[in-house]
Amino acid sequence: MFYDSLLLAYRNIRERKFRSFLTLLGIAVGIAAIISLIAVGYGMQYSITEELIGMADIISVMPGRQIIPGMGGYAETITERDIEDIERIAGVEDVGPWMYGTAQVEYRKERTPVTIISGDTQDLEEMYATYAEFEDGRWIYEGDHRGCTIGYSVAHEYFDEDIGINDRLIINGEKFVVVGVLEKAGMMASADLDPNIFLTIRAAQEVLGTKDIYMLTVRISDIDRADDIGEEIEETLDQNHNMDDFAQAMTMSSMIEQIGTVFLILQAVLVGIASIALIVGSIGIMNSMLMSVMERTHEIGIMKAIGATNSNIILLFLTEAGMISLVGGILGCILGTITATLVSIGVSFYIGMEMPAIITPEVMIGSLSVAILVGVISGLYPARRAAKMSPVEAVRYG
Amino acid sequence: MIRAVNLKKIYKMGEIEVPALRGVSLDIPDGDYVAIEGPSGSGKSTLLNMIGCLDRPTSGNVFIDDVDTSKLNDTELAKIRREKIGFIFQMFNLIPTLNALENVSLPMMFYGSSRGKRAKRAEELLKIVGLADRANHKPSELSGGEQQRVAIARALANDPPVIFGDEPTGNLDTESGKGIMNFLEKLNKKGETLIIVTHDPEIAARAHRSIRMRDGTLKA
Ligand SMILES: Nc1ncnc2c1ncn2[C@@H]1O[C@H](COP(=O)(O)OP(=O)(O)OP(=O)(O)O)[C@@H](O)[C@H]1O
Ligand SMILES: [Mg+2]
Repeated sequence: MFYDSLLLAYRNIRERKFRSFLTLLGIAVGIAAIISLIAVGYGMQYSITEELIGMADIISVMPGRQIIPGMGGYAETITERDIEDIERIAGVEDVGPWMYGTAQVEYRKERTPVTIISGDTQDLEEMYATYAEFEDGRWIYEGDHRGCTIGYSVAHEYFDEDIGINDRLIINGEKFVVVGVLEKAGMMASADLDPNIFLTIRAAQEVLGTKDIYMLTVRISDIDRADDIGEEIEETLDQNHNMDDFAQAMTMSSMIEQIGTVFLILQAVLVGIASIALIVGSIGIMNSMLMSVMERTHEIGIMKAIGATNSNIILLFLTEAGMISLVGGILGCILGTITATLVSIGVSFYIGMEMPAIITPEVMIGSLSVAILVGVISGLYPARRAAKMSPVEAVRYG
Repeated sequence: MIRAVNLKKIYKMGEIEVPALRGVSLDIPDGDYVAIEGPSGSGKSTLLNMIGCLDRPTSGNVFIDDVDTSKLNDTELAKIRREKIGFIFQMFNLIPTLNALENVSLPMMFYGSSRGKRAKRAEELLKIVGLADRANHKPSELSGGEQQRVAIARALANDPPVIFGDEPTGNLDTESGKGIMNFLEKLNKKGETLIIVTHDPEIAARAHRSIRMRDGTLKA
């Protein structure tokens, strides 16, 4: 009987090709939306997590926020002594200071304020390695106390005249030579690179007139001990500054965890949106099945008159709904995969970072099951209605 | 053996009640050939539908082989229709998307026969009604007489003891009508119970007995 229902359902679907196709499309779009949203979501999470894992041996240390009455800002900053103390902690390989600030920059008599970013030159290079391409020149070296690397916007947008390598800038009264000009960065790193000038720490201290350190990046030798070392760093700094919560040491694993929860929420929102598409699709199936039942009321009557039971009739219609939604689901999986792949290619290109579309078998199987479930459930009401009619009533119809 | 006891059927059309049967009792023994006659609207089809288990009476009982059908649920009633009853309609009522062979197979499918058995039996039946060469034709590709012969083959599929016909020749020309009736009467001679609603006095005359209806009651 089941195999026969398949055959009969197939006949009926073929008989109403266009409408069946529209119904099927409704389901397919819903499933495609779910698959592609999940795939892109996973892809984003994956690529960001990968990025962070690539930096798993780094702990970033920042002073916790200390509010001074009447003013925002930090009561104290990280000092040279802090760096020395951290370097003595077991498992710490290397400590890199970072400085940020704003300086007046003069180029061919024109002046404008620009953000200065400064760190160990090796750290600079590593931090931005994946995003930064050079239009010309190179990163500053450790000995380049009079050299600077500049971002794309600084070179081409901030001043009337373009800046190239070997051009001279005056930064807060100090003379510098441009040794490298970066290309325009992708979206992800644009704010970090394009509007900034990069200097060595020594140069930055001179230019900014301070030794205040904004942040430290601590490289460790044993990733498994990252959390312990992070705690030790916090304790050391708190002690140095005689404060309870002076410093905050962020390990990558804690960041990955945080990002994980953010993505969980994001996924929930995306799946919610996709579900709306699916609900619309299921209304389509229900509508189509109701029409199919109405059109075939007469046939249902005949079948019942020659001995079909109510469950025979329900089986026939559910098979039809199931078949439409199965094919719709498969089509949806294909469409969703294509969409996700295109989106990932587009996004990867746009943000300048590899972002794959991740489609797991679980998601595929899950979506297909959802499609069939939705189809069968939306087919159930019309099918039951069809089955309950008295044969005479149904035969008289039409 | 079919027995109807004080059958009443009232159709409700909104507020208005239309009494189609006003208390009909009758016995039809196995092997009988009964014609039901009467003016249009007198309740012939209604009576046939009740004793053929296509519909439930408002009150009264129908016994099929001593089983009170008013006590059966939908599934059990479907089983009676499937196994004990073959129904032939005036409008043939074949499934338009299925070919002749598949239409004849359908009752056997609901019965649960294997595919092989079904195909064999359906071919046999089509041969009996003289349509072996039309097995793959859709109803729309068959003449009225041919469609009715397919419908008869379908009614015979599960080898039921009783055949009901609601004006089975009503939509056919005289010649094909005669053919159909000859065939049905041959079945009756082999023991099949035949219950036919008809407006044709010739058919009524050939039946073992004729029941006349008027205003939802039997006329003596
Ligand atoms: N489903 C229905 N709803 C309402 N009234 C109905 C229904 N079926 C039949 N009737 C009414 O019941 C009465 C008997 O109808 P029935 O079809 O049994 O007559 P009939 O003797 O078969 O007539 P005909 O010779 O025209 O086929 C008629 O008045 C008819 O209008
Ligand atoms: Mg009638």
